[in-house]
Amino acid sequence: MTVKVRFFARFRELLGTDILVEKKSGMVLATVVKDIAQKKKEGYDAIFDEKGNFREFVIVMRNGKRLEPAETTTVTVADGDEIAVFPPVAGG
Amino acid sequence: MISIQHEDVDINRLINEAKRPGTGAVVVFDGVVRDDDIREMELEAYEEVALKELEKIAEEAKKLHHLFHVDIVHRIGRLPVGENILIIVASAGHRPEAYAGSRYIIEEIKKGVPIWKKELRKDGDRWVPGEHPHGAGKPAH
Repeated sequence: MTVKVRFFARFRELLGTDILVEKKSGMVLATVVKDIAQKKKEGYDAIFDEKGNFREFVIVMRNGKRLEPAETTTVTVADGDEIAVFPPVAGG
Repeated sequence: MISIQHEDVDINRLINEAKRPGTGAVVVFDGVVRDDDIREMELEAYEEVALKELEKIAEEAKKLHHLFHVDIVHRIGRLPVGENILIIVASAGHRPEAYAGSRYIIEEIKKGVPIWKKELRKDGDRWVPGEHPHGAGKPAH
């Protein structure tokens, strides 16, 4: 199955965006993001803490809906999902 | 008009179009690129999601503050000092509703709409830190 991962702002600069990944169904969302982020240490360190958890300020969306912290390690991704990962917003 | 766009917008036209029968006040908020020793501001949005959220905020503001009409135009891309970043037009029967509605909209945008600003500074670039730090990570104890 194919999942699209989008990073924004500083995370986009570090890791790129609109990344299409082929994954086995049933994979946990946080693992999908981690697999991509691990390709560049600076990007990984910006998003994950030393224990491998999303940093406190990181916002994660699945198909445009924001996930609660606990959900990122329990929700599994499905074919066609769009995952967005970004720092705190600063519009206006 | 609810929009995320590169182009500027004609504010006078928005004001005129916001005047509906019974309108007694139109409040305009115009956020501009401030000269904080920067060359330009670069704005980025998660456009599909941000647009839906702006539409939701506009509807909520209308209901909560009895607004007749709302425009929100948020610009993206590179903007030099003095350019408009965000224009909010809110019309109502009386000024308290128009002011309160306008204030509600800007505060809600700052709280959660996925848009980011990067200052392109003379001494190096810097992402403007968000105002609401709690994201998907485990809360710090």
